[in-house]
Amino acid sequence: MLLEVNVMAMSAVARDTVFALRRQIAKIEGTLPERLQAPSGCAPGAIPGKVRSSFPSGIAQNQTSNDAAGPDMTIVRRGLAVASADAFLHTGIDRLDAALGGGLPKAALSEIHGLETRDAGAVAGFALSLVSLVLREKQGLPILWVGTTEIFHEAGMPYASGLHALFGVEPGQLLFSEAPKLLDALWIAEEAARMTAFAAVILEIRGSPRLLDLTATRRLHARARSAGRPLLLLRQAGEADPTAAPVRLIVSAAPAASRETLAGPLAGSIGRPAFKVDIGKSRTALPGQFTLEWNPNEHAFAERTENSVAVVPASGRGADPAPASGAVLAFPALASPAVASAAAGDQPSRQQHPAHRSPRRAG
Amino acid sequence: MISHRDNNTQRIAALDERAEALRLKRGMGIADARAMHPSIDVVEADPEADRRLLEGLADWCDRYTPLVAIDGEDGLFLDVTGCTHLFGGERAMQDEVLARFFQQGFDVRAGLASTPGAAWAAARFHGDRIVAGGEEEALLSPLPLSALRIAPETRASLESVGLRTAGAVMAAPRAPLARRFGATLLLRLDQALGRLDEAVSPRLPVAPLSVERHLAEPVVLTDDIERLVSRLAIALKTDLERRGEGARTLALLLFRVDGAVNRIAVGTSRPMREPRLIQRLFHERLTALEQSIDAGFGFDLVRLSVLSVAAFDLVQGDLTGETDDDDADIALFADRVRARLGEAAVLKPVVVESHLPERAVKTVPFAEAPQGRAPAAGRTAPPRTAPPMTVYPPERPVRLFRSPEPIEVPATEIPEGPPMNFRWRRALYRVARAEGPERIAAEWWRQLPGEEEAPTRDYYRIEDSEGRRYWLYRQGLYSSAPQAAPPRWFMHGVFA
Repeated sequence: MLLEVNVMAMSAVARDTVFALRRQIAKIEGTLPERLQAPSGCAPGAIPGKVRSSFPSGIAQNQTSNDAAGPDMTIVRRGLAVASADAFLHTGIDRLDAALGGGLPKAALSEIHGLETRDAGAVAGFALSLVSLVLREKQGLPILWVGTTEIFHEAGMPYASGLHALFGVEPGQLLFSEAPKLLDALWIAEEAARMTAFAAVILEIRGSPRLLDLTATRRLHARARSAGRPLLLLRQAGEADPTAAPVRLIVSAAPAASRETLAGPLAGSIGRPAFKVDIGKSRTALPGQFTLEWNPNEHAFAERTENSVAVVPASGRGADPAPASGAVLAFPALASPAVASAAAGDQPSRQQHPAHRSPRRAG
Repeated sequence: MISHRDNNTQRIAALDERAEALRLKRGMGIADARAMHPSIDVVEADPEADRRLLEGLADWCDRYTPLVAIDGEDGLFLDVTGCTHLFGGERAMQDEVLARFFQQGFDVRAGLASTPGAAWAAARFHGDRIVAGGEEEALLSPLPLSALRIAPETRASLESVGLRTAGAVMAAPRAPLARRFGATLLLRLDQALGRLDEAVSPRLPVAPLSVERHLAEPVVLTDDIERLVSRLAIALKTDLERRGEGARTLALLLFRVDGAVNRIAVGTSRPMREPRLIQRLFHERLTALEQSIDAGFGFDLVRLSVLSVAAFDLVQGDLTGETDDDDADIALFADRVRARLGEAAVLKPVVVESHLPERAVKTVPFAEAPQGRAPAAGRTAPPRTAPPMTVYPPERPVRLFRSPEPIEVPATEIPEGPPMNFRWRRALYRVARAEGPERIAAEWWRQLPGEEEAPTRDYYRIEDSEGRRYWLYRQGLYSSAPQAAPPRWFMHGVFA
């Protein structure tokens, strides 16, 4: 069942056929079409798992416009799967990028959850490290941080001096907006998300308010997508509610490594910030856990593997819902060990209802 | 009938026609009046409410002229210089003012003259008169002394020497009058006759520019008001362009049919003259105020005033007609948020030279913050976040609590060391690792003389057993003195 088509040269009809075929294959495999491996030969540098990156962008847009037309149309999804490679924010961790299908979408709403309010420091730190990655390209653009009064009171205001030292965000680049009511915060975030003048917008909310439902996140996502800017929704102590965000990450603090000195690690010292990142929802990824360390000097992530905590829980694909899971054999070219481990090694936690269980319609 | 308390007696302060017909008078004791007519209805005077009513009327009078001043307890000065032609001349204007007040249920006397003093006298002693320039003397001569706006004592002593009318005072030689009765008398006289200028100080600052529209049919809907705003803003734009200025503060005045006036102001971060942007700002403001603006039977006059202006820098766009000005976008965004949610809705951190963490970063409203973003490339000055002498800047948390939160620390390993565990927000945390202390002393130069010295703080970076990092500090030191208070511990921030 290996698909060998020269994608670049095929006609529209052939393309439709190929897409339909892929969808069928995906159905048989019990996985998402996006997760199928790219046809060999068409995209030498493409990251496995991100098939559509090999198509010319014109085609991609074409598909986008009529993707809701009917069941026999192509399986290409809006936004994510059709986007080109630079539509993703590469975290620099190959395993995580591969699991997310290329990285975190740049022009989209992304949710970052903290399970408890006391994780607010880690969540904020992780969000800011993503912002710092965004700022590599968009130097000097300001960042807007919207929050409700409640969260700023409970978890503290972002502290400009600390942000500068760790993430290279200048105080003059920061704008805070504090809204007493959630509705106002959502309004500010929506207005800001449609602007291209901000490098990124961060919206921080505590708990699981009723206002922040699928509709609200869909509005935010739509605006972020049209403006082409990331909108990070930080949810402290919130439930995993239905969301329109393509990616939901669950972040908590991980013990920091010791400080490095010339004489080796300094015992008892607290080194660079570290985060435990779980993929809670992603169209392309199986849930997985990563321990990332932020390097404030180079403004880059590094994955920590020597941690005593098992990064990849040793379990089979027991939770895979598809009966024909053995069909992995049909794709012997699961060449990249990164994908293999990300796809095979993880088991979704019951609570999070991962997106991969069934192909969701919500974009 | 209104009563007021004067020298421990209830006296009549004001009374209506029917009470006057009963031969009651002002200043009469309430007890006497009750004895004469037991059925009279007496209400306690409320000067505060009277004042509010007068201010409301003054607001309403803004429709005639921006220069409205309150005169005493029962009068309004309207400086209508240059405004009368808008209402069809002096006579027509005065008639309209009187008619409108009458429709609102007020019994009003008006006088129009070229000096405030003459107008005052005309209003109080004639009721509805227009005094042409030069006729002031003829107007005042037959009037009693109280028409001159002088103190009652002066009036009494003038009457005691036989000068009973303003004309008599005018005829008397000036020097002895000044010597005997003070300069005020002659000042008032000269002002009334127009020999000296008298400035009427308006109660509200006069807008440098304003445009207004009288409406034959009152508007009620917010959408209609917004459309009017955009029309007015277009009219305003030409004026602003002529002056080379942009608006920094704009006010929208909505005059309701029944006399109430709504004043809606918006501020802008940078000078603005684009009608579309002005309309958007007012759109946000009106949306936010939707609940509190009561249109009632509608607004029949809408005025857009520019309260403050600033020089407007023209920016040249490129050939595609786009100006790549992100700052302007952000300023507009901040203005809109501000218009809807208040001044402090958009904050900007400003780094201040201070060692105290909570003082080192100040958040100021966007409009007051120094404009312009941090220079991105080719930076000239080093960032001021780090003190220049330290090679490694001290680590600062990602989030800082507004006010440090007290925590319970049961035990420390060594007296001046980090805690072994602590209780914060009712949860127990076990300390796995700690770094510190970083000692930050209080800013003695801010202390007032005689004030007790604030204790120093020892900050620790703490990592708990679950890997979360916190910033704690101990305020004060352990002391062996028997009366010394034990040091207190606070949670001040969290690290990434």
